[in-house]
Amino acid sequence: MAARFQTYWQKFRRNFDRWSVVALLLTLFIIVPTVFLLLQLIDGPGESWGHFVENLLPKYLQNSLYLAVVCSVLTLLLGVSSAWFSTRYDFPLRRSLEWLLILPLAIPSYITAYAYAGVFDYGGPVESLLQGLSPEAAKVDIMNIHGLAMVLSVSLYPYVYVACRAFFLHQSQSLIEASQVLGQNQVRSFFRLILPLARPAIVGGVILVLMEVLNDYGAAKYFGVNTFTTGIFKSWFGYEEFNTATYLAALLLVIIFSLILIEQRQRRRKRFVVDGKGGKRLARIRLRGTRGFLVTAVVGLPVVLGFLIPVAQLLYWAVQVYSQVAWGEYFSVAGQSLAIAGMAAALCVILATALLLAGHWNRLRWIGWLTKLGVLGYAIPGAVIAIGVYIPGLVIDKWLIRTAEATFSTKIGLVLTGTVIALIYAYIVRFLAVAFNPISAGKQKVQNSLLEASQSLGKGPWATFFRIELPLLQPALLGAFILVFIDVMKELPLTLILKPYNVQTLAIEAYQYASDERIMEAAFPSLTIVAVGVLPVIFLNRLIRQD
Amino acid sequence: MLLTINGLDKSFDRGKVRALCGVSLQLAAGKTYSILGESGSGKTTLARLIAGLERPDRGQIHYQGNLISSESQHVPAEKRAIGYMFQHYALFPHLTIAQNIAYGLKKSPRGRTVVEEMLALVNLPDYGGRYPHELSGGQQQRVALARALAMKPRLLLLDEPFSNLDTSLRVDLRTEIFAILQTTGVCAVFITHNAEDAMAISDEVIVLKAGTLLQQASPQALYARPARPYVARIFDALLELSAPLLAEFGYSAQAGRQYFLRSHHLSFASENDYRTAVTVHKSAFMGKYYEIEVAVAGQVFRVQSPAPAPEGTGELGWKESDLLVFGE
Amino acid sequence: MKKIIYILFLAVAMTACQGETSEGGETTEKTDEQVVNVYTHRHYDVDQQLFAQFEEETGIKVNVVNANADELIQKMEAEGEASPADVLITVDAGRLARAKDKELLQPVQSEFLEKTIPAHLIDTDKQWFALTKRARVIVYVKETVKPEELSTYEALADPIWKGRILIRSSSNIYNQSLLASLIANLGEDAARGWAEGVVENFARTPKGNDRDQVKAAAAGDGDLAIVNTYYLGRMLNSEDAVEANAGKAVGIFFPNQEDRGAHINISGAGVARHAPNQENAVKFIEFLASKEAQEVFAEANYEYPVNPEVEPAELLQSWGDFKEDQLPLSQLGEFNKLANLTFDVVGWP
Repeated sequence: MAARFQTYWQKFRRNFDRWSVVALLLTLFIIVPTVFLLLQLIDGPGESWGHFVENLLPKYLQNSLYLAVVCSVLTLLLGVSSAWFSTRYDFPLRRSLEWLLILPLAIPSYITAYAYAGVFDYGGPVESLLQGLSPEAAKVDIMNIHGLAMVLSVSLYPYVYVACRAFFLHQSQSLIEASQVLGQNQVRSFFRLILPLARPAIVGGVILVLMEVLNDYGAAKYFGVNTFTTGIFKSWFGYEEFNTATYLAALLLVIIFSLILIEQRQRRRKRFVVDGKGGKRLARIRLRGTRGFLVTAVVGLPVVLGFLIPVAQLLYWAVQVYSQVAWGEYFSVAGQSLAIAGMAAALCVILATALLLAGHWNRLRWIGWLTKLGVLGYAIPGAVIAIGVYIPGLVIDKWLIRTAEATFSTKIGLVLTGTVIALIYAYIVRFLAVAFNPISAGKQKVQNSLLEASQSLGKGPWATFFRIELPLLQPALLGAFILVFIDVMKELPLTLILKPYNVQTLAIEAYQYASDERIMEAAFPSLTIVAVGVLPVIFLNRLIRQD
Repeated sequence: MLLTINGLDKSFDRGKVRALCGVSLQLAAGKTYSILGESGSGKTTLARLIAGLERPDRGQIHYQGNLISSESQHVPAEKRAIGYMFQHYALFPHLTIAQNIAYGLKKSPRGRTVVEEMLALVNLPDYGGRYPHELSGGQQQRVALARALAMKPRLLLLDEPFSNLDTSLRVDLRTEIFAILQTTGVCAVFITHNAEDAMAISDEVIVLKAGTLLQQASPQALYARPARPYVARIFDALLELSAPLLAEFGYSAQAGRQYFLRSHHLSFASENDYRTAVTVHKSAFMGKYYEIEVAVAGQVFRVQSPAPAPEGTGELGWKESDLLVFGE
Repeated sequence: MKKIIYILFLAVAMTACQGETSEGGETTEKTDEQVVNVYTHRHYDVDQQLFAQFEEETGIKVNVVNANADELIQKMEAEGEASPADVLITVDAGRLARAKDKELLQPVQSEFLEKTIPAHLIDTDKQWFALTKRARVIVYVKETVKPEELSTYEALADPIWKGRILIRSSSNIYNQSLLASLIANLGEDAARGWAEGVVENFARTPKGNDRDQVKAAAAGDGDLAIVNTYYLGRMLNSEDAVEANAGKAVGIFFPNQEDRGAHINISGAGVARHAPNQENAVKFIEFLASKEAQEVFAEANYEYPVNPEVEPAELLQSWGDFKEDQLPLSQLGEFNKLANLTFDVVGWP
């Protein structure tokens, strides 16, 4: 035992270098709020826990589970099928549909929910249509858990679509041909070969969907569905037990983390990447006539459901309240949103890259693993992260105030929590994963031999980074920037809690109108979020295609 | 000596996979070497250790008299000035050919002339402005060579330089690269699994098997005096002759030794030192030789003979000088 | 491409610096500029207008943090002595009472406020003051229900209303305050019995907001809805024809007029305990209670003014006067948690 420790210690001393320090510090910086929340598990929940478990938890869990399962299945169907058809076949409107399919990402899902409620509302298009057909027709009620699952799915399927599409685009023709030669037709090849191969991509996408579903509060609340996240808010504000809320959040975190671990363990031994030396990319099969239009309809359906319908409803509302918009203030809010999102996205990309490289360059394997903890924040509901950031932040702020008073006898304000610093930090904690994953994938595509070649030509890690990796990673970095940017633009609960004075974002404005039951007025800021999101999404699509 | 390696050990996966054990060798300036071995023999690991891309578990590497690798000391690859040509060339896709070649050089007018020199050296004088993907495989290879040579290293490692090419092309390219290397006077080390390549271009061949160095010798010595049956098998099919079989031929074997013959050294010629009568089963014409299946004392084996075998029976034999003896 | 990134970074960095400096200026006290920092749950255009008016009249700059009262209270609690908040504004009394309980507010001596605002709308320790009132009333579908059938909140638990009542979910503060008022007035057991009865009478699972309840009633999904007067006012003046028609299809009924009066809730303000600009804070609240400000509230937002000199909006006047429950509003805060637990036990989602 002692000898073993001895060798381990030697190995540690030999390999612990400045990159290990950087990696450790960065990881620590990111996971402080998460650790703070997990520590709540030790404290245990508040006194209402028993009441909560007895009366609410089973129902809430059941609802969350239902949503998780149905949304996984639906997003899988929508995302995988559209990705497969658009990479494997050629049909009318394919090139447009390719990027249109990503657009639902630009609409916050609670806004999609509001819009759908409007579409199916009394006097809305669906009800009017049904009434026109037959006055006896009942109203189609979508404001229930099934409707919620549907709405969330049409709004979240692009996560699966994007992941699968990138994967399908990189499959080599020879694989499919091999399958065909072995007697499998197109359909069977898809189910027996492509689908199992695409599993990591699909699972990656579905996990993102699940996290969004579990994090959703706005849509579920409006549809009257109580979920696990409702429980967090209920115990926090209804019971006034912050510890019960964080306890629940921590439990949620543990559940999600276990899911990810189980999946990773299960596929550890298998290889999914085919060494694609040479190998032609998949060639598209051209579909003509009825079959072509049929596929267009199938692939177009998610676009119609996830983007066109909600946007049409928002536009309809916006036109009605157009005259009441205060343009000056509106532009100021839009400007602030853009600036905050831009700043947060830039920092996320920089930190994610730094974390990734430090984890990579350091030679202790466990530290490399540790850096992966940095992405945990994505699994935590925004409001809970806000608290995880806010409370430690205040401790520092108060210390700063005391120190400033004692040393310089000046009064300073809340340096962190009173300014955008805490807000941006919280965005980083929450959205680092969004930047980390594409950059990490991009890094994997940069062959190691290129870096070694640079090294053998006399360049150290820094020079290699700036001259080889950074230029090659550029598309991935831009993609990461855009994804975080859109997410921050949409973010709501965290921003509500942490935003400083006189800072207003579009998402907050939309939410405040909506929560004051002025949905129509909410349409304008919502549409702006959509518009701001659409441009980068189109750009993102071009990146994927070039790649 | 340009490079001296002592007792090099390296394992992967926390010691589960032993890549090299106790490898020692010496390389002299200006000569050409090949490290020859099957995949998994540790040849690439050895090259990467020399280049500084890996750290050894034990052992030392000295380069130009300085310790560059040991358990505790490690000069990083970028400070070694040892050239390395990667198997798939590893040309930087976002840089032009000229930028690729200039990559390791300081920015100076002198650097520009070096690039021109190198482009001329590898016979691609007008390609400086192109991008790697616009070049053919052979051209890419020459660029990779030019890039490695631009640093004027005294030692250049070439990892499987010809493995991506078909036979006719590889011979041409081999000759060309060899000629280029000759003009620079660099000490070149080819990492290869192809014996023919190794024999064609090296002053000395280093044979690795399962992480162990079996022999370092000139091609002639390697062929004439292989250190192990494995080394001899690299070049030819071998027949192992057991003691009773040797006795059939009138040769008395000593205990604790192994005896082998290259299968084309058995013949029906009359000047053989040892002979015995055999039954000919089958004779097939293979172009350069006849493959003949014979039986000696109930044991069947194949012989490569320049002439067809006599019908039915014949007198098979070999020369004493051709017998390979291992052991003791 | 590189250029675009540089420009983007530069723009971001510049806005960041700007934001930082202006915020620094606001939170430090060294500057001579007079400010008042307001944490508010109200987010109406009319408030913006009033704040601007206040700035113009007094030269005191109004800094606003907009969020849910729950989050604002959490924030103030965490900030403690370092809190920059001067004024807390919420849209219900329960949250103000909670802030007081947590010792986040301070008593205010203001003759003007005490003179202007009726006593039951002021905290007993003068820690908070109501600014506007809303009543939570019953609306009925004119076609199917006669107002004579209605009497009290309590009567809603009667089985004759089975499958006929529309009301939103229990996560809504107005429902929590209504139940809290029943607990305060009738006791815990009776209140739980009432909640059970109402759950039995649900026309559908609670969902949507107050306006949705009215729309559902008008469409025939139920016969009664429990809503705030303020939303009804907005509906009747909506741009959306469906909403306006729904509002017209229902009648308004103020319950419990024979006994304690209709449940009211308030929007109100208090001065933060650690207010750095305490004087400005008092001035600010006095301004909001003043006749000119109250008139703006009354006209623009369909809320009942607290200043007796100011008449409610015409629409509200057309609904007639009503008797208000005189229950000290601080009790809504006291019983809020119990109300929440009761909702869970009776299965009111």
